[in-house]
Amino acid sequence: MIWPPRPILRKITRLPALLAVALLTWGHVGSPDVFFEGKAGPYPVRIVVRPPLVVPGRAEINVRTLAPGVSRVSVQPVVWNAGPEGAPPADRAQPVRGDARQWSAQLWLMRPTSYSVRVEVGGAAGTGTVLVPVVAVATRRLPMQRGMGLLLAGLGLFLLVGALTAIGAAVRESALPPGEEPDPGRRRRARRVMAGTALLLGLALWGGRVWWRSVDRDFARTIFRPFHLTASTRAAGGERRLTVAIDESTGGSRDWVPLMPDHGKLMHLFLVRQPGLDAFAHLHPVPLGPDGTFETPLPPLPDGPYHLYADVTHENGFSETLTTTVELPAAETTTATPSGAPDADPDDSFRLGAAAAASGGTADLGDGFTMTWDGPPGPRVAGAEAGLRFAVHGPGGTPAVIEPYMGMLSHAAVVRDDRGDPKGTVFIHLHPEGTVSMAALQFFQSQQGGSGNGMAGMSMGAMHPGVPGLPGDGVLSFPWSFPRPGRYHLWVQVKTGGPVRTGVFAVEVAAGRNSNTENG
Amino acid sequence: MDSIAQPTAPTVPSQARHTTAARPLAARAAALPWYLYTTLFGSTSIAVGLLWDISWHATIGRDTFWTPAHMAIYLGGVLAGLSTGWMALATTFAGSPADRAATVRFWGFRAPLGAWVVVWGTIAMLTSAPFDDWWHNAYGLDVKIISPPHMVLAAGMIAIQLGTLLLAVSWANRMPPALQPRLSLAFAYASGILLVLVSTVVLEYSEANRQHSGRFYVVSAAVYPLLLLAAARGARRRWGATWTAVSYTVLRLGLLWILPLFPARPLLAPIYNPVTHMWPTEFPLLLILPALAVDLLVQRFGTGDGPRRDGLLALAAAFAFLAVFFVAQWLFADFMLTPHARNWFFAADQWTYYNRIDTWRHKFWDVDIDPVTPVKLGVAFVLAAVSARLGLLWGNWMGRVQR
Repeated sequence: MIWPPRPILRKITRLPALLAVALLTWGHVGSPDVFFEGKAGPYPVRIVVRPPLVVPGRAEINVRTLAPGVSRVSVQPVVWNAGPEGAPPADRAQPVRGDARQWSAQLWLMRPTSYSVRVEVGGAAGTGTVLVPVVAVATRRLPMQRGMGLLLAGLGLFLLVGALTAIGAAVRESALPPGEEPDPGRRRRARRVMAGTALLLGLALWGGRVWWRSVDRDFARTIFRPFHLTASTRAAGGERRLTVAIDESTGGSRDWVPLMPDHGKLMHLFLVRQPGLDAFAHLHPVPLGPDGTFETPLPPLPDGPYHLYADVTHENGFSETLTTTVELPAAETTTATPSGAPDADPDDSFRLGAAAAASGGTADLGDGFTMTWDGPPGPRVAGAEAGLRFAVHGPGGTPAVIEPYMGMLSHAAVVRDDRGDPKGTVFIHLHPEGTVSMAALQFFQSQQGGSGNGMAGMSMGAMHPGVPGLPGDGVLSFPWSFPRPGRYHLWVQVKTGGPVRTGVFAVEVAAGRNSNTENG
Repeated sequence: MDSIAQPTAPTVPSQARHTTAARPLAARAAALPWYLYTTLFGSTSIAVGLLWDISWHATIGRDTFWTPAHMAIYLGGVLAGLSTGWMALATTFAGSPADRAATVRFWGFRAPLGAWVVVWGTIAMLTSAPFDDWWHNAYGLDVKIISPPHMVLAAGMIAIQLGTLLLAVSWANRMPPALQPRLSLAFAYASGILLVLVSTVVLEYSEANRQHSGRFYVVSAAVYPLLLLAAARGARRRWGATWTAVSYTVLRLGLLWILPLFPARPLLAPIYNPVTHMWPTEFPLLLILPALAVDLLVQRFGTGDGPRRDGLLALAAAFAFLAVFFVAQWLFADFMLTPHARNWFFAADQWTYYNRIDTWRHKFWDVDIDPVTPVKLGVAFVLAAVSARLGLLWGNWMGRVQR
C-alpha cells in the first residue's frame, strides 16, 4: 500500500499550523548554495550544501575540516517534522582525492520542505556533530537539451514506424499457413489497418503531449518564487520616505504567512543605486499596518534609480529575498521630522561612493578605521571559494575590536553588476557563519537535543575559537563562493569604534568549472 | 467474427527443428523451442523485477540504476530482445526455406511476428531509460507508477509479454490439433505474466482500502475482461482464462510471501514507518473467480460463427465478470481490513516507510467522494463489454496466428 491515501493528504493540507512550524530559508537571489562555518565538537568545519534544483533530488554535501586529526565524516538528512527518529542511517562521506581535508557525500531530499543536514565528524579528538539547515524547493525548469531531444525523437520515430510495420505484418501474414503468400486483399487490409493504427498512435502521442504539458504546468506552479514587492517614495515634512508593499497574493503555491523578526527586525532592506552601484543603504522599515506595507525615512542618498532587496522571514521560518526597483527623488533642504511617522532605525546605515578597493586593497571606514581585503589580488573564479577575509584596523593600525551588531559579528551584502544581463542578478546577505538562518538552526538544535554547532546561545566568542573572524583579532571571514562570473560589489559592515562602518569592494569573477549558469 | 481457423495440416515448427529434426512429431511438440525458454524467462524476470522494484521503493527508497530489481527488469528485457533478435538474424541469413516460411517480413528481415514484438518491446524499454532519467532531472524523482516515461517502459514490457504470448501461440497453432491443448500451458503462463504486468500498471487504484470506491471497479472492468476473454478464446484448451488467472495468482502470491523474508531498512528521510523487511506488495485480486465464470460462458457459447455470437458473449461475459468480481472483491476487501488478514498469508496492513501510520489504514478511502453507485456500475459494465469484445477479437486472432 504505497500511495499516501488522499484523505490523509487532505488532512495535511488543512493544517497550516503544521506548516507554520516549518523552518525554511531561501534568503538570496541567484545564490542557492548553503554555506556554513562552525564547529562539530572539537573540529572546526566549513560546509557547503548544494541543494537539488528539483525535489525529490540529490543534495551535494562538501565538508572541509579546518584542523587536522579527522578520520571520518558522515552526513544524515533530518526532516523538520520527522525528527532524528525519522532519519535514515547516516552516510559516510568520502575523502576527496588529493585533498585530505575535504569530504563529499550526496543525500536524497525527498520532500519540498525544511531539512537539517546532520554532519558528524570523528577523529583523534573524539566525535562532534554540527547541523546545517537546508531547504529543498524546486528552483528551475529544465529545458530539453537538443541532443537529448534528438535522441528521444529518433527513438520515438523508430518505435512508431516499427509498431506500424509489426501491425502490418500481423494483418498481412501472421495468420497465413507457413509458406503461403498474402493475397492482394490481405495486403490492402494490412494497409488500411496500418493507417488506422497510425491514427490511433497519433492520438496517443497527442494525449501524451497533453499529459506532459499538464505535468509541466503543475511543476511550474511548485517552482519557488518570492512574493511581489512594490516601492514608492513620498515627501513628508521635508523628508523623503520610502514605502514598500508586499502583495500577499503572489506567492504561487505558497500561502502568505506573517513575518517574524530576524536579527530583531521584520525587514532588512538593502538599496543599491544603479547603474554605478555607487550608493548603498541597509535599512529596517517598520510596518504601517497589517497589510504588508512598510515605511522608513531615507538617509541622504543621491537621487536616481535603485534596486531594492528585502530580506524577510515568515513565521514559518521561510526566509526569502523580495526584489523591486524605485526611483529616488532628489533630497529636499529642510530637515523637519513629520510627527507620527516612524523614525529611522538606530541600526540603519548607508555608504556613498563607488567601490574603491579590490581584493588586496584597503577601504576607508572613516575616523582612521580601515578594512583590508586580506586576499590575493586579481580576479576570482566562480564556483570556487571566494576568499572573503577582511582585516579591520583602528587608528594607528592596531586590530579593531569588533562589536556584535544586530546579533551578528558582521553583515555583508554582495551584489552582481547585472547591467546587460538582467537574468544574472545575484544578491546575498552574508554573515561569518555563512548563509544559514540562525532561527532555523536553533529550531533544529532544540529538536535534536541541542547537538552540535557550538553556536547554541549565540555566544559568538565561543563560536569559532581558533577560526578567523572573531572579535579580538579584527579579522572577519565569510564562507561563500561567487555563483557565476561577472563583476561583483561587496559592502562589508562592522560595528567598531561607535557607529556601523561599511567597507566597499569590487572584484571581477571569471568563469569556473562549477559556476552557476542558471538564475537560481 | 469467424470461427477459429485451424491449420489444415500439421506443420513442423521450423525453429524447433534446429535440434529435433529426426524425432517424431509428438515428441518434438512436447519440447518447447529454445526461444520460448528465453522469452518466458525474460518475461518472468521483468514481472518479478517490477514488483520487486515497487517493494524496493516502498521499503528502502534509495534508488540507482543498479538496484537488483532494475537488473532483473533489464536482464529480462535484454535477454528476450537479444534471443529474438538473434533468432531473426539466424532465420534471415541462415534459416532453411521451411524456417523462413513460418515468419513475417519486417524491413527485409524474417522472423515470427512474436519475435518482432519482443524486439520492439526491448527497444521501447531501452528508450524509456534516458527519457526517465531526464524526467527525474526535470521534475524530480517520482515515486509514482503512472508517468509518461514509465508508460513507455510499460509499453515495452507489455510488448515483450505480448510477443512471448504470440511466439507461444503461433508455435502451438502449427501443431496438430490433437496436440494443441497440451501445448497451451506456455500460452497460459505467458498470458498470466501479462496479467501481472497490466495489474501492476493499475496498482494505484487497486489497494484493499480502495475496493469500496467506484474508480476501482471502473478501472478493473476496463482492463481485466480484455485479458481474460483473450486468454479464454486464444488458448487451445478449456479453462484458458482460469489458468491465466492461476498463473497471475501464483506469481503474485509467491512474491507476497517471499519478499518479506528479506530484512531491509529505509535509507531515505523522512521515515514515518520504520519497516524492518521488504514490503510484501498487495494480495492479488481474486481474478480466478470471474475467470471461471468467463471460461464457463465461453464454453457455453462455443466457437460457432459470427460477430453476433461474440457480441452476445461479450455482453454476457461483461455482466458475469462484473457481478462475480464486484461481490468477491467487495467482501474480500471487508475481510482484508479486519485483524484476521494481518498475517503473513494475506499480508494486510503492511505500509511503506513514508506512510504515517494512523487509523486511516483500517478504513476504506474515498468512499465519500467516489462511492460505488448504479451509474458507476453502469459505466463499468459498458467498459467491461467493450473490453470483453476487444478481448474476443484479440483471442480469435491469436487462435489463427501461425507465424
